[in-house]
Amino acid sequence: MSEHLLVQLFLSGIGMGFIFALIAIGLTLIYGVMNVVNFAHGEFLMLSMYASYLAFATWGADPVVTLPFVAAMMFIFGLLVYYVLVRRVMRGSMNAQIFATFGLMVFLQAAAQFIMGADYFAVRSGVLSGVLEVGSFTLPAPQLAAVVGASTATGALYWLVFRTGTGRSLRAASQDRQAASTLGIDVDRMYALAWGIGAACVGVAGSLLSNFYPVFPRVGAMFVLIAYVAVALGGFGSIHGALVAGVIIGLLQVLAGFFISSQLKFVPVYLLYLIVVLVRPRGLFGRL
Amino acid sequence: MVPPEKTLLKLLALAGLVGVLLVLPMALSDRPFELRMMVVIFLYAMLGHGWNILGGYAGQISVGHGLFFGLGAYTSTVLSLKLGLNPWLGMAAGGAVAAAAGVLVGIPCFRLKGHYFVIATLVVAESVFQLFTAWDWVGGAMGLQLPVKEEGLLNLQFHRNKVPYYYIALGMLAAVTAFVWWLEQSRFGYILRALRDDEEAARSLGYSPVTHKLLAMALSAGIVGTGGVFFAQYVLFIDPFSVLALSFSVVIALIPILGGAGTVAGPILGAIVLVPISEYSRVLFSGTGRNVDLLIYGFLIMLISVYRPDGLAGLFRAKRERREYVPG
Amino acid sequence: MQTRIPVVRCIVSFCLAFWLGLAHSADEVRIGALYPLSGQVAKSGEDTVNAIRLAVDIINNKHPDLAVPFAATEGLPALGNAKIVLIVADHQGSPETGAAEAERLVVQQKAVALIGAFHSSVAATSSQVAERMGVPYISGESEATTLTERGFKWFFRTTPSSRTQARDFFTFLRELNKRSKDQVRTLAVVHENTLWGQEFAKSVEGYMPEFSDFKLVADIGYQQGTADVTSEVQRLIAAKPDVVFHASYDAEAILFARTYKQYKFSPRGVMAIGAAFGSSAFREALGPDANFYLVREHWSRDLASKNRAVAQVAKLYRDRYGKDMDGTPARAFAAMMTLADAINRAGSADPKKVRDALAATNLAPDKLIMPWTGIRFDQTGQNDLTRGIFVQTLEGAPRMVWPFDQAAAKLVWPRPAGR
Repeated sequence: MSEHLLVQLFLSGIGMGFIFALIAIGLTLIYGVMNVVNFAHGEFLMLSMYASYLAFATWGADPVVTLPFVAAMMFIFGLLVYYVLVRRVMRGSMNAQIFATFGLMVFLQAAAQFIMGADYFAVRSGVLSGVLEVGSFTLPAPQLAAVVGASTATGALYWLVFRTGTGRSLRAASQDRQAASTLGIDVDRMYALAWGIGAACVGVAGSLLSNFYPVFPRVGAMFVLIAYVAVALGGFGSIHGALVAGVIIGLLQVLAGFFISSQLKFVPVYLLYLIVVLVRPRGLFGRL
Repeated sequence: MVPPEKTLLKLLALAGLVGVLLVLPMALSDRPFELRMMVVIFLYAMLGHGWNILGGYAGQISVGHGLFFGLGAYTSTVLSLKLGLNPWLGMAAGGAVAAAAGVLVGIPCFRLKGHYFVIATLVVAESVFQLFTAWDWVGGAMGLQLPVKEEGLLNLQFHRNKVPYYYIALGMLAAVTAFVWWLEQSRFGYILRALRDDEEAARSLGYSPVTHKLLAMALSAGIVGTGGVFFAQYVLFIDPFSVLALSFSVVIALIPILGGAGTVAGPILGAIVLVPISEYSRVLFSGTGRNVDLLIYGFLIMLISVYRPDGLAGLFRAKRERREYVPG
Repeated sequence: MQTRIPVVRCIVSFCLAFWLGLAHSADEVRIGALYPLSGQVAKSGEDTVNAIRLAVDIINNKHPDLAVPFAATEGLPALGNAKIVLIVADHQGSPETGAAEAERLVVQQKAVALIGAFHSSVAATSSQVAERMGVPYISGESEATTLTERGFKWFFRTTPSSRTQARDFFTFLRELNKRSKDQVRTLAVVHENTLWGQEFAKSVEGYMPEFSDFKLVADIGYQQGTADVTSEVQRLIAAKPDVVFHASYDAEAILFARTYKQYKFSPRGVMAIGAAFGSSAFREALGPDANFYLVREHWSRDLASKNRAVAQVAKLYRDRYGKDMDGTPARAFAAMMTLADAINRAGSADPKKVRDALAATNLAPDKLIMPWTGIRFDQTGQNDLTRGIFVQTLEGAPRMVWPFDQAAAKLVWPRPAGR
């Protein structure tokens, strides 16, 4: 058991963790602003992966190049989902909100299979499919990109939320909807924005993932479970919480997979989640 | 107040329905597809009732209820294989184990609110699923095959003719429906709904949320667990993918949601609508591999959440309320 | 058990059934096919059913140039040129649905025989229905070893079991060791965690005492659908095996292959069971990195050099369905042909006669498109004349490299470094 191996495991785990974080950030943003968990988040990921793949298959476009377009497309899709579906259940009970995104999840998965079939598709050797050798350590490029991407996204979101007028409005709308609208803030627009940005974040994640992970209708399911855990672990609504939690999960699953059992490597993750959430219901950084 | 003629009418309709259900198998004796579909409807309605106690009445949405179904199925199957235990006793054991598991899960998880709870149920169910696929003693991914025994009520196995399963499932559904109907009217049911609608207020009135939720969970899990035992005896083969999978948990929740969470009729309506859609779309669209039934489910759920969060049962209730609200 | 016999009803139904039976057998033989046509393996299910459809079409219509049984005639000669009607049912990968569909096919669709089911768990329950109802069931691709260990009389399997397939891995390595000075000693098994993967791993473990010249240094199972395989690959690297035995489906095959490349894991050979590592999806996704993976296959286009029918059928399949045939559709094709041969020899569509004809099957290798030495069922219903081949992806195409005396291309071993 060499130190080299241990360090490599750490690096790989953290890298993977940033990918999980990127998926979780969008989810936590939506929750933070409007107290709604998007149960269809995994399908947003799946859609962005399909988009990346289709751009590659049709025009030979590299996912790195199409990343901003996929993000923009997902932004619009997020807005669409808000205006067509979510807005109408905001007045309803929490259960109605849960059911709504739940139904969306089932629908999108089925629609993907309906349109694209159940086949696996993979992008071949994009720019980001290689590795970076740092000394004797291997850093896979997609994960490096995720580190950059997730950090940038977190930074950008922080800047947006805490240093801009729009951000102020977002925060106001999330804290007290009534008060915010009496202050002239278009709460509806803020909610839509949250959905758009949240979807765009997961769009970036999907674009990066498509560099090395194949896409198929149910690809979102595994990732989204991890994202839920990351969001709850980090604390619903906390962006840096999602980042930290994502990285912890990435690390834990690699270490557990190596030292305990690769078949059950997520069980320690789930256990950690349950423990943290019981000892500290609002998660690591949440503000309940 | 509902006028007495209405009640009589309702009772007659109910009796008529029961009558039809009792004789239906004779018409279906050589139509195994339809017969089986009825059994599935009864089973899912029963599972929906179970879910409903926790999700509809107590307001705790669980998307991990497949866990209890699987635990019930595995308990009775393992006991049958290792100790030769009779499946009826196995049903009691399966229900008990599921109920106990429910309480074990509930104790920590009920401290969580809303979405946190939902995700916790998801996480627990997925963990158990993964553990079972790696656990050799219960067959791992290969599953467990129940030995073919002499058919009869004693062994809860029927080979040549599946009609007895129909009556057993119908009987179980009737029993659970009656139980839920009674529960709804009972003080316990009232407290559950109070807790669901405003926990703080209920607590201030002296009702302990945790004990009541745990009891609801035990009942909910226990019912779903006995359904699992029935399933095991029906198929005579179980594996983690057919009794513990997350997708199955989703279906258990979808049915009462669609039909109307928090009502007695809800799970039944939900099953009556969803199961045939699923079955017929599979048979009709065989060979296209296109998941049309899920497409329809998902769309229906979204529609319901927007227009009728009360589910299909809400459609009827709204009508009745409107009619009764006639001024004059 | 006592039964009451409603006499009039009986006579009427008997007449009806007789008339219907006559009506059916005069011009058709109804066969039920059970496959997963929705859900995750829908595409594989569809590909497999297509091969059966192709077989049925060849049987039913005149194809004078094909070197395949029943091609020259229309329908089944011994049954007055009766045509086969294939009724396809989707079991969605669920054992319970499979059993229900089996019953529906037999009772409501009047199928006289069943073919299926891809998933072994579904084959188990659906063949149990067939056993109970006295209807022959043939499986061309369900590999769980226990399927033929149940003492069933109506279940027949043309494909080799998982255990038989695992044996080929060892046979291959022993032969390889005889030919080269660099001996392969250590192996690792990587497998997904459903029935298929677990069975393969168990079979491999089961052979270790017999093949004691090898040592198992790692047994790595993983959850199907896993997001990341870093820990699995790192465990492999730490175990330093000479050779890796791999059981994965498409998505993870691609993920593993990419991760192997990222961490520069390159054992002397990666040998896979199942078609994933040689599939067109895999080759398209990995490009040149798909080369040198070895797949224990059931069939290869390269068999055409010895058997004209192979090329003809492969071309027909490709023309009609737009995809290349691989081992699973090929096996399903063979199974359907075997069933047709049995029905023809029985001279009738009566299930009992068909069953007996199946049990007496003795098909010579030149009647098949498979590399087997024939089809003959032992008393458990298992075809014991199967042979495996190894196929290696070379320059982007799958080439048959073993058995060495029938190889179409030379095996590249060990894998070139850095791949």
